[in-house]
Amino acid sequence: MALAAWGLGAVAALAWPLLAPPYFVFLATLVAVNAVVAIGLNLLSGYTNQLSFGHAGFLAIGAYTAAILTLRAPALPVPLTLLAAGLVTGLVGLALGIPCLRLDGLYLAMATLAFGFVVTEGITNLDALTHGNDGLRVPLARLGPWTLATDGSRYYLALAVAAAMILAALNVAGTRTGRAFLAIRTSEIAAQASGVNAAAYKTVAFVLSAFYTGVAGGLFAFVVGFLSPDAFDVFLSVDFLVMIILGGLGSVWGAVAGAAVVTVLNDSLAGLQTYRPLIFGAILIACMLFVPGGLAAMTRRQS
Amino acid sequence: MSGQALVHVVVSGLATGCIYALVALSLVIVYNATRAVNFAQGEMLMVSAFVAWSAQRAAGLPLPVALLCGVAAGGVLAFLVERAIIRPALSATHWDVLIITLGLSLMLRAAAGIVWTNEELPFPSLFSNHPVAVGPVRLAPVSLGVIGASLALMAALVALFRATRFGRAMRAVAQNQNAARLMGISVERVYSGSWLLAAVVGGVAGVLIAPVTFLSTKMGLIAINGFTAAVLGGFGSLPGAVVGGMLLGVIENLAPLYLPTGIRYSVPFLVMIGILVARPRGLFGQLERRKV
Repeated sequence: MALAAWGLGAVAALAWPLLAPPYFVFLATLVAVNAVVAIGLNLLSGYTNQLSFGHAGFLAIGAYTAAILTLRAPALPVPLTLLAAGLVTGLVGLALGIPCLRLDGLYLAMATLAFGFVVTEGITNLDALTHGNDGLRVPLARLGPWTLATDGSRYYLALAVAAAMILAALNVAGTRTGRAFLAIRTSEIAAQASGVNAAAYKTVAFVLSAFYTGVAGGLFAFVVGFLSPDAFDVFLSVDFLVMIILGGLGSVWGAVAGAAVVTVLNDSLAGLQTYRPLIFGAILIACMLFVPGGLAAMTRRQS
Repeated sequence: MSGQALVHVVVSGLATGCIYALVALSLVIVYNATRAVNFAQGEMLMVSAFVAWSAQRAAGLPLPVALLCGVAAGGVLAFLVERAIIRPALSATHWDVLIITLGLSLMLRAAAGIVWTNEELPFPSLFSNHPVAVGPVRLAPVSLGVIGASLALMAALVALFRATRFGRAMRAVAQNQNAARLMGISVERVYSGSWLLAAVVGGVAGVLIAPVTFLSTKMGLIAINGFTAAVLGGFGSLPGAVVGGMLLGVIENLAPLYLPTGIRYSVPFLVMIGILVARPRGLFGQLERRKV
């Protein structure tokens, strides 16, 4: 039964570009991109209890890395570009994570918030590389002999990457590292007392999270095709937080569901920009007061 | 640079710093009582400023009365918010309250945009625009007025914390909640009172800064600088919040003179990252011992 449902879901995901109008294919691509960010943020916030307000900054670094690489080396195949975007962002995550390790909770949240502002300031001012506020047009992604020029082709790229990232995240939870993450989430002090090197694992979580977000940033660059610093403001970071809180902290599928709901909601509220934060704010408050585990906990309760 | 210009920059830095200090104080007052940071503090002071604007424009009240109305409205809002959505979540982890206040800040900002406007509005000032001569230097009355009003409010806060029953109760709860409860202090009343007091202090900051930065739904972002100031001084320390605020204001005003324009706007954030990396407990902070 469950297998049949999974199979049906997989078939629907694969057939989507054949069934849906182009705009909805684009929307589904955005869902996949945001799902990768949400899973990445969840590795940090859901598993090791560190809130980040700076993931829009990581996304921007990944996106600009991919865009600039493609501009300078147009022949590079997409998977390598995405990997490079992830690695560069992961390295930035490492550089930020090591000093921030000494901070807990609130201070880390504020440091990441500051980091997000510094990144957008930096992009605005690195004119030579990023064209500052004028924005950067991203060339089409290339995969060997093909250029990914249609919405459908970019959808399959995002879907393949998202599927790989989901699988990897599901597997992390079953490894020694994943168990260490969960132990830290339950109680950092108890985990340390039991021999878990909390500092090391928190760095790993931070770097992994940045890597995921960087890869998603690369995808974002190719999917949207145009980058400008104001797209990566702090409110985007807040959107990512809404995704994982709505989906349920610590659940991979919850993050995917949260990303889907928030992305679609964002799109359907495009005409009601002034009401959008009102609704997202209400979602955050309602989740915390009434459904602390988010969507993931709701389905768990039913089964 | 000439000495007079330097004095001018430092004084206007101190004025900005006073505002940061007030915002930092309001964040720390809530934190000391409830161990939670109110992410909506900036949006609450924005509401205060908007209400003051309406009271003056729509209701035609004289400016000082209108400003008081705004500050009072902030207090009422904080009291209601604390009772309705913060208190039920306080027993949970501090993340819950943080995320609730984050949601609240989104809602307040959107609501202000709907009720009032998303445009920037000029805000009337109590102080004139003509520079006054103090000895050899000419200073803006706005700077001096902001500094004077802030110092008066800080003095009132010191008196409140030192000399009143409620102030002592707040300090007791900040030190040890359980012990305070055992001594017969109503911790719940301290929660309410702290939210109210913080909103009043923040509201004063809001109506003082609005003439300088314009009134807009974005003015809540000043809370980030307030937070940086509080961290600089050592989060949880009231004198630290004041010193941190002044320091940040002066640094922020001096930095553009010595730094390239590119990183000018990043200065408060770089200061925050720097202080967090070098000395996370700030200038006056104490390390908190944590238990399972």
